[in-house]
Amino acid sequence: MDFDDSPDEAEYRSRVRAALQQHADELLRLAPGQEAVDARLQEAEMRRTQRVLHDAGLVGVTWPREYGGQGGSLLEQAIVGQELARFRVPALINHIGMGMCGPTVIGHGSQDQRDRYLARLLRADDVWCQLFSEPASGSDLAALRTTAVRDGDDWVVNGQKVWTTLAHVSDYGILLTRTDPEKPKHAGLTMFVVDMHAPGVTVRPLRQMGGQSDFNEVFFDDVRIPDSERLGEPGEGWRVALTTLMNERVTIGGAGSAIGSPVEEFARHAKERLPELDADRQVLARQAVGRAVVAALGARYTGYRRLTVLSQGGIPGPEASAGKLAGTEAAHLMADAGVRLLGDDAVYAATADGDDRWQRTQSWLPGISIAGGTDQVLRNILGERVLGLPSEPRLDKTAPFSAGRSDGGTR
Amino acid sequence: MNFDLDDDQHAFAAGARDFFRGSASPAAARAGLEGGALEPGRKSLADIGFLGITVPESAGGSGRPLLDLAVVAEQGGAVLAGPSLVTAARAAVLLADAPDLAAQLADGSTAFAVLDGSVEGSAPSVDAADATLFLGLDGGALVVGEGEVVPGRPLDATRGLASVRLTSRRVLAEDAGELWARARQVGAVVMAAEDLGGADRCVQLGVAYAQEREAFGRRIGSYQAIKHLLVDAWVGVEQLRSLVWWAAWAADCNPAELPLAASAAKACAATTFERAASTLIQVHGGIGFTWEHDAHLFWRRAKVDRLLLGDEAEHLDAVARLAVSGALGA
Ligand SMILES: Cc1cc2nc3c(=O)[nH]c(=O)nc-3n(C[C@H](O)[C@H](O)[C@H](O)COP(=O)(O)OP(=O)(O)OC[C@H]3O[C@@H](n4cnc5c(N)ncnc54)[C@H](O)[C@@H]3O)c2cc1C
Repeated sequence: MDFDDSPDEAEYRSRVRAALQQHADELLRLAPGQEAVDARLQEAEMRRTQRVLHDAGLVGVTWPREYGGQGGSLLEQAIVGQELARFRVPALINHIGMGMCGPTVIGHGSQDQRDRYLARLLRADDVWCQLFSEPASGSDLAALRTTAVRDGDDWVVNGQKVWTTLAHVSDYGILLTRTDPEKPKHAGLTMFVVDMHAPGVTVRPLRQMGGQSDFNEVFFDDVRIPDSERLGEPGEGWRVALTTLMNERVTIGGAGSAIGSPVEEFARHAKERLPELDADRQVLARQAVGRAVVAALGARYTGYRRLTVLSQGGIPGPEASAGKLAGTEAAHLMADAGVRLLGDDAVYAATADGDDRWQRTQSWLPGISIAGGTDQVLRNILGERVLGLPSEPRLDKTAPFSAGRSDGGTR
Repeated sequence: MNFDLDDDQHAFAAGARDFFRGSASPAAARAGLEGGALEPGRKSLADIGFLGITVPESAGGSGRPLLDLAVVAEQGGAVLAGPSLVTAARAAVLLADAPDLAAQLADGSTAFAVLDGSVEGSAPSVDAADATLFLGLDGGALVVGEGEVVPGRPLDATRGLASVRLTSRRVLAEDAGELWARARQVGAVVMAAEDLGGADRCVQLGVAYAQEREAFGRRIGSYQAIKHLLVDAWVGVEQLRSLVWWAAWAADCNPAELPLAASAAKACAATTFERAASTLIQVHGGIGFTWEHDAHLFWRRAKVDRLLLGDEAEHLDAVARLAVSGALGA
């Protein structure tokens, strides 16, 4: 057991630090108190930041070299993540592309697709989004209704996606469609790469509860996709989607990276604010601070255990969902205590001097309990796949999808 | 970075599991409530070497790191073994400069207990009920002596709790405040490890029952109300395991981090074990509420341990104070 860098890791870390210093002027960096940037406002800077980092060898650390990656280890990836956070570089614009879309293309795309897309994706020459959820299918993803119908060498797509993060700045997306409504719901799906600039694709922003607009609704009206842009065989879309979803759960909180603010930042905030509270409030506030720190440390060190297993060749499994659950819980505790430490300002959306970081985090976290598998769905997965508890009886697995449609399948 | 047990520690854990499964059980914990003896008991623990794991080799122990002891303690916790390895770990720290006494600790020839609170009338202290020699803090000095033992009616007999008034005392070290604090932190880590074993066992037993018991034509584990209770308990156990290992590692390799890590582990243990034990009862329904079922024995241990060596509130407060004064680093 050893938490220090090995000599190789230490050397790698210092090379990462040197590269960041060298390119400091070209990188977008978070101001004190800022926790994210808005891709709507700073798209160009975000793309440039990822490109610069890529060219410095700090993007796609674990990806194969033939696709523009570094062929490095998971631990190196973790070191880069830590150093980017230390250097206050915001989340990369293509985080969904790298976390979910790219691995899906690597796993199920043709050689031609991999050659055309992956290196550009890592450099943020193209930004990617994930077009899965629909108004009537979120947790129950396989109930989706967007159709793709074969027409010569093309497929013609009609339907609507929703909650699509980054669609407004995306060049490509991975798109899950229904190609055979007569098959049971999981068997009639097919995955494609879609060009977000193709005729018939319309992106409309949606405003979140906190006021920002990071996600969108996306409409497909007779959008033509060449058959060569299929990922996997027709009818195999569910298997392809599982690759995406597994990567998603590893990406969010799977390996010791904090969801929301790091605990060190929370501790600094508590240090500043605690002395300003009345003495009897301080006692109570320290309880809340302590509880949040314990949760954050528990999630961090559990992530280190996962990272150790993965870096020794373990396969990412359903346990990753526990990391997302515990990380989300810790983030909620920190945000709640973080806001309450503001005293009277806690009832406003920002402090008198305009600092809104804890209020923003507070109004952003409910989405984390929903995105990428809701808390409830993750508990089902853990209960069934890790603890081995029986699944719920299901009525929807065998009947043709068209037979189960509440509208009779006549759309 | 490598945050996993090594092969030796895995083997050590497997050996400890076999030993404890053969020598202690919740049934013995139940019998303890009606006057039965602690299992495996001090002599067996000494014979297999568990009382001296962290005692130096020169004093007849094995001179192993605390992490090894924590791994063993987890296995003891899973079957509610007594006496507690908390006492062995804590006394080993206090007796670092008293090799003759440390040797008696390791070979089990003397029954030690470490007193919390005043030596004129201690707080309920672990393993004090049948101890013959007591370690205490007397105005900043570490003392050893005999005492008058006043046990209460046990909620959990395996902890051997009693209050003690020292009737004789000999000073082992003046100015022992820091040593005493470190010993208590080490004790908290080991208790958290025992609680980890207990909580983990609760989840296993709950899952096993939920896989077979049927209601309304389905196995109860298929109901989300049951499934999610068990998942939450399990996620808690995994967080606790990480904090226990980290804290034990800190005691061995990075003492500056021990106060934070020990308090984090102990606070987490208090709630995690309590939740796991309550879940175990709830998942079992009526049978889980009976004297004959094992569930209440884990519950008893959880209800008692959460208050020993500092309750959750004390440790959360410590974590907060340490975190705001920079203990997390940059
Ligand atoms: C910030 C944010 C970003 C997102 N980004 C994307 C994106 O980029 N691409 C994309 O495709 N999607 C995205 N999503 C969508 C997200 O994946 C879905 O919102 C999520 O899967 C839940 O689906 P839903 O909204 O339809 O809710 P529903 O599935 O209708 O769920 C409603 C409630 O029912 C519960 N529930 C549903 N099924 C079960 C069950 N079997 N057992 C117990 N409880 C259940 C849920 O937990 C929830 O509480 C994003 C969502 C958010 C909030």
